Amino acid sequence: MFAFFCFERRRIFGEKKNLIFLAFISFLSAYFVWSGLNEYRQFQVEKKVFLKFEEERVKQFATYVQYGTFGFRLLFEASPLNLFFANSSILQDVESNVDGFEAIRVDSSFKGNKLFLKRGFFKDFAGILFVFGSLFMLYLGNLALASQVYLRFMNGCMSLKKFYFLTTAARLFWLDLFFLALGMGMFLLVRLGGCVFSRGETAIFLRYLFFLILLLDFFYLLGQFTAVLAGFRRVFFLWFFIAWFLCVFLLPEMSRISVFNESRSLESAEKVNLEKFRNLMALEKKFREYLKVNPTAPLDQVREMQKRFAVQFINSSYLVNTGLETKYLREVERVITGHERQSILFPTTYYQFITGEVSGKGYYGYLDFMNYIMELRNRFIQFYLKKRYEEPEPPVEPFVKNNENIFRSPSRLPATFPLGMLATALYGLALFILAFWRLQRLVFQP
Amino acid sequence: MISIRGLGLEHGDTLLEPLSLDIADGEIYFLLDRLGFDLLFQVLGGLRRAAAGEVLFAGGSAGNGGCQGAAFINRIADVADFETDARIADWIDFLCSACGFDRERIFKTLLVCNFHERHLKKRARELTPEIFKQAYLAVSLAVDRPNLVINDFIRGADKSFELKFNKLLLQMKAQGRAILYLGSDIFYASEIADRVGFIKDGRLLFEADAADLKEMDIKDLYLKFLN
Repeated sequence: MFAFFCFERRRIFGEKKNLIFLAFISFLSAYFVWSGLNEYRQFQVEKKVFLKFEEERVKQFATYVQYGTFGFRLLFEASPLNLFFANSSILQDVESNVDGFEAIRVDSSFKGNKLFLKRGFFKDFAGILFVFGSLFMLYLGNLALASQVYLRFMNGCMSLKKFYFLTTAARLFWLDLFFLALGMGMFLLVRLGGCVFSRGETAIFLRYLFFLILLLDFFYLLGQFTAVLAGFRRVFFLWFFIAWFLCVFLLPEMSRISVFNESRSLESAEKVNLEKFRNLMALEKKFREYLKVNPTAPLDQVREMQKRFAVQFINSSYLVNTGLETKYLREVERVITGHERQSILFPTTYYQFITGEVSGKGYYGYLDFMNYIMELRNRFIQFYLKKRYEEPEPPVEPFVKNNENIFRSPSRLPATFPLGMLATALYGLALFILAFWRLQRLVFQP
Repeated sequence: MISIRGLGLEHGDTLLEPLSLDIADGEIYFLLDRLGFDLLFQVLGGLRRAAAGEVLFAGGSAGNGGCQGAAFINRIADVADFETDARIADWIDFLCSACGFDRERIFKTLLVCNFHERHLKKRARELTPEIFKQAYLAVSLAVDRPNLVINDFIRGADKSFELKFNKLLLQMKAQGRAILYLGSDIFYASEIADRVGFIKDGRLLFEADAADLKEMDIKDLYLKFLN
């Protein structure tokens, strides 16, 4: 056993091209973690400016009507772990405006330096390890068993089963150790760089790292399997590239297209907004009708009627609109749950799903954000109506207290995480067994 | 001693009618066939099942998971088949610790072959096929087994390597090992073997002792059995 570990260590780390590739992966990971850390720091600075601006903004409002019309902005702050997943998350840098209007808006700004913040294309720690780590593991899996002739030679020295099992175990041990050290090293460097992670976030990162290693092991076993399947022929590299492309790009893209098709069953967000607008306007019309019928009504009476209509709005139209929004959100949630279940079916699709969730900017982060907006809107409308009709012209008090206008989206692992791990491990196990079965047929011919 | 009893092979066009042979300790038996013996070598090494018959090696028998009774030396068609990304020295270390190969024996063979120390630091792909053959030979002979089966190992090798190899072969013969050499080179067979068997169309047609072979016209034998 020890001999295998020593030999495989020398095979992997004694080969110049492997070292170059490992150095390349480490360098790129470090670069993108550093870039993520810079973005995180920049966000913290901008967050302070945002809070100050919002504070100043409320002071400028002379009346509650202005406050209700313009409302306040709500900033989405992802977990600090997001710096490892800056480009792999589902949501972009988003914010919302909480006001008296019927539509809920979630926006992404392209103003100023944000115009130059181009997201996507695996440009983060999680993406680099996913693309290049998988390629490297696939390549090393392909080289592991050398050739049919070599296996026949080794079979003269020890049983094929022992050779196959120990070679795989030893190679996976060193490669896993490398990726674990890389992940932990980056995590510690970020901590040294001043980013603080809670105990829960550390645990989530470790579990993510564990899944990443399991995924990379899957690629190693896939490489080994494709090499055996092609009978160690030199045309193998084409197979190798096809297998990698299929797993890393095609299947996740197909999963994305599938969820998009699934989401087409959802009602258009504009339709929901229109329905809410109609509900609101129906009440407005009633109030206008009242003013038409009583054009000479004194101001006090009009004001009293306004208050009564507002109460009526809260008790009827607003409740209906909130119900519409909640129903719509539950439908979105149903699509997300379906997508989550579907992504378990293949390791790479599930990896893409969990990177979003671990970053805090995933689908469930979005749902929480929407729920938070609705809860805040509810409270803001009550506050606004109460203040507006309580006394003639009270001084405007800020609604937001204790940085409530910052939504902190925590890192999370979906409930299906153990199932996803199990599915990935089973894929790996199946490839390991199938490769051995085929190998036996290659070495021992009937 | 190697005993082959009624060994028959059938695989595609390749056919070997039941073959019976006894190779005594300290004897080199050269089996010649124009078509080569890859299939028979696999059967002897326990990598393939024979259609009929059995092979007995003194001290063990052929079977899956390697044969304990004999050491096997196969011809090397492509050095790339042995490319593991490891240096030759690391490969030898691994074989010694994982398979219990005798390090002293390996280095003795390498010494006989004039294998330069600097080659130990190289990988298989960085060596010429001739030099890699030396390393391969050294590890193949590292296990102390009473019998030896060789498959056309010397084909294409230069004369100096052939001479070194002959020296090793004669050493092993002197140590009392039974050696079965499978090949197609009658001239080489006449140089090294004690007995030679000619196979044509899957049948052992003719057997001769080395002494008798010297009196025969080798060219005539070649044309008759191997052309």
